[in-house]
Amino acid sequence: MTSWLDHTVNGLIIGNIYALIAVGLALIFGVSNLINFAHGSVYMIGAYTGWVCVAAIGTPLPLTLLGVVVGCAALGILIERFGLRPLQGAPRIAPLLATIGIGLVLEQIAQLIFSPDPRALPSQLPAWRLPLGSGSIGALDLFIAAVGVVSTAVLYGFLRFTHLGWAVRATAQDRDAALQMGIDVHRVNQVVFAIASALGGLSGVLVGMYFNNIFPAMGFQATLKGFVAELIGGVGSVPGAVAGSLLLGLIESYGVALLGTSYRNLFAFLILIAVLVWRPNGIFSSTRQVPPEPLTGTFIAPSKPVHVPRWAYAAATAIFLALPLIWRDSYIIQTLTNAWLYGMLALSLTLVAGTTGQMSLGHAGLLAIGGYASALLALDLGVPVPLALLLAGFITAALGTLLIFPAFRLRGHYVAIATLAIGEIVGLVILNWEGLTRGPIGVVGIPPLEFFGLPLYDTSALYWVSFTIMVLLALLQWRLTQYHLGRALRAIREDDVAARAFGISLNRYKGLAFAFSGFVAGLSGAITAHMYSYINHETFNTQISLLALTMIILGGMGNIFGAIVGAVALIGLPEMFRAVAEYRILLYGIVLLLLVRFRPQGLMGTV
Amino acid sequence: MNGALLTLDSVNTFYGPVQVHFDLSLGVPAGKIVCLLGGNASGKSTTMKIILGLLKPRSGAILLDGQPITNLPTPAIVRAGVASVPESRRLFPAMTVRENLLMGAFTRRDRAAVQQDLDRILELFPRLGERLAQRAGTLSGGEQQMVAMARALMGRPRLICMDEPTMGLSPLYVDRVLELIQTISRQGVTIFMVEQNANLALQIAHYGYVLQTGRIALQGSAPELLRNPQIRDVYLGGQSVQQK
Repeated sequence: MTSWLDHTVNGLIIGNIYALIAVGLALIFGVSNLINFAHGSVYMIGAYTGWVCVAAIGTPLPLTLLGVVVGCAALGILIERFGLRPLQGAPRIAPLLATIGIGLVLEQIAQLIFSPDPRALPSQLPAWRLPLGSGSIGALDLFIAAVGVVSTAVLYGFLRFTHLGWAVRATAQDRDAALQMGIDVHRVNQVVFAIASALGGLSGVLVGMYFNNIFPAMGFQATLKGFVAELIGGVGSVPGAVAGSLLLGLIESYGVALLGTSYRNLFAFLILIAVLVWRPNGIFSSTRQVPPEPLTGTFIAPSKPVHVPRWAYAAATAIFLALPLIWRDSYIIQTLTNAWLYGMLALSLTLVAGTTGQMSLGHAGLLAIGGYASALLALDLGVPVPLALLLAGFITAALGTLLIFPAFRLRGHYVAIATLAIGEIVGLVILNWEGLTRGPIGVVGIPPLEFFGLPLYDTSALYWVSFTIMVLLALLQWRLTQYHLGRALRAIREDDVAARAFGISLNRYKGLAFAFSGFVAGLSGAITAHMYSYINHETFNTQISLLALTMIILGGMGNIFGAIVGAVALIGLPEMFRAVAEYRILLYGIVLLLLVRFRPQGLMGTV
Repeated sequence: MNGALLTLDSVNTFYGPVQVHFDLSLGVPAGKIVCLLGGNASGKSTTMKIILGLLKPRSGAILLDGQPITNLPTPAIVRAGVASVPESRRLFPAMTVRENLLMGAFTRRDRAAVQQDLDRILELFPRLGERLAQRAGTLSGGEQQMVAMARALMGRPRLICMDEPTMGLSPLYVDRVLELIQTISRQGVTIFMVEQNANLALQIAHYGYVLQTGRIALQGSAPELLRNPQIRDVYLGGQSVQQK
């Protein structure tokens, strides 16, 4: 075992990096009650700005840092001005979704410019190391610590002693009252986004130099770690964010020392869930009371769903059933099969996020559970595939509900973070539980779908199977949400306190919603696994969760038919124009942003 | 209404499709205490919001000293000399009393004068002097109301809008608050206050308006209104008459 001193130093360094991210998140949450999902992307842009300065222009360190700070501050101002300010007065969920969209767009732009592959960001500090105890400490380590301490001190001074800093604090405590003191809260918002983004970018470039490695997707993990750190210290609290970050850095460092590197993230997310459940106000707060939540109330844009006559549903079903007979283009049929599988995922998500109002950002985790369950049942236990599919549905329902259960008492933003973390935890458990899941290698040679012993390789057959299952599930979900259950779930969405006052058991109904949702998503994941014949821990990643979210918003949250329309539109249409395949995810991000801004009720209207 | 410091001229306000004010017109003469009375959902608090620019009326004009402020953003209205004592006080709970008071002078740059005003205002509110370093969130309701009023004064306003300044206070503090409002008024600051408790408000006000479902149902000098049988019935606990 290497020395504990080394791990402590390492933990504090990483903690300092987290602090730069978490402080920004806390500032933004403070003044605009918003969890900024785009923050990690700003951090990533910071790293790439640093790379451009170092590798392309060849600036010395101070100029590199200045470039990053100025560039990211400007980016933050743009995000606030054009991404978020137009959403004033929109439903509270809108800005959160907008930050997700902005994050996707930034990440994709970076991929298009710099390619998705990692590249080296050489440290610009001398390579000497100072022996310390049995280990040593490098110039970069000291520099990171110094940047962390100095930034925190400057920020403290700004908040405490400047006119504008006072305005920031007042706005964070009571936005309306601040306005009535004559504070221009837009300007405060802008300043906060600039500061937060500058710190985030600084963090990105330092991390890049520390690991000598940057890649466009690096922001996602950073956002999550920032959340964890912020949550440990209490959401919206700047000193809390610093303390939480250092603590998280230390815990991770010691955890890695004990168990190995691949457990690093698992630690962070388990802490996140534990804090959310036991100390949602942060570990320094004594109350267990769930903090007041800005997101409750009118959760989604109220609207009238578009009326579709029954014969149109019947006609559409008949046309799509007959399609493989008429249109013999196997590429189209395959694409639509894919759309049906996504349609199931969208059905599952729209029940939870739309009808019940529980914003789930980890729905791909359910696909993974379903896929692995079915694949392993069929491979390791020799269960016939149709039975394995069904069992996978039930296993996902049970396991999914069990995993989310601790988060049932949370609301709005906090549900979004908790589900995001649970989705990550599923992936990390799959990665680390090699005995069951074969770890990073993945599951190979999954038997194909079969029907009474007859394997289905044929594209049309797969099309029919997935389409039929999706239609049946949609009918079942429609039937279930039509009457008592649907009313209860919508009541929880609109006002869970009032719902409880009318005798609706939140746990029971949320449980039912997540169980049905898990069953549907599990089936989708299972069918996918048998179709692909190979899955690994990254097959069902967070990007899929976000794509599903975009689908249900496009279709209209809670709208069953809309969910399917959304899936066909987002899976089918980009595939039709293969030339744009490269820009697909960028397109999703832009679609999400445009929807949030101009048509939050979606194409078919919310239910 | 000539010579009024604040004028509302046929204002129509909406919350989405719901109309709150119907051609609302009223005037607040300089140096006076004017109260706006009315029951629940009569549109009283909304009147405060549109004066402060927190909500924009769909039509009509709001004039401060003859100048239109209808479409100005809230900070500009504050800088023009309107201060607010918001409903349920809305202090900055994690800031100290002193910081809260200084926030009231946020738009002012004359630091020395601000410090003088702070000392002067603390003479008016001696209780607050003892609590300058305490966090505002830990004060009692009555003390918080004092801070809110003192904070409004710190901006050297011409007009203070008070939304239900006596709400939720103990009887002792209610009297104290009313006295203070009169003291402030005597210093030349115009006061426009919204009150549900007509009896209390009319004791100190010069003039009153009664708002009913977004329209002025009645207006007059305070003694007139106090004598008015309708008012007595509806607001002063004569007979309990159900309102529309």
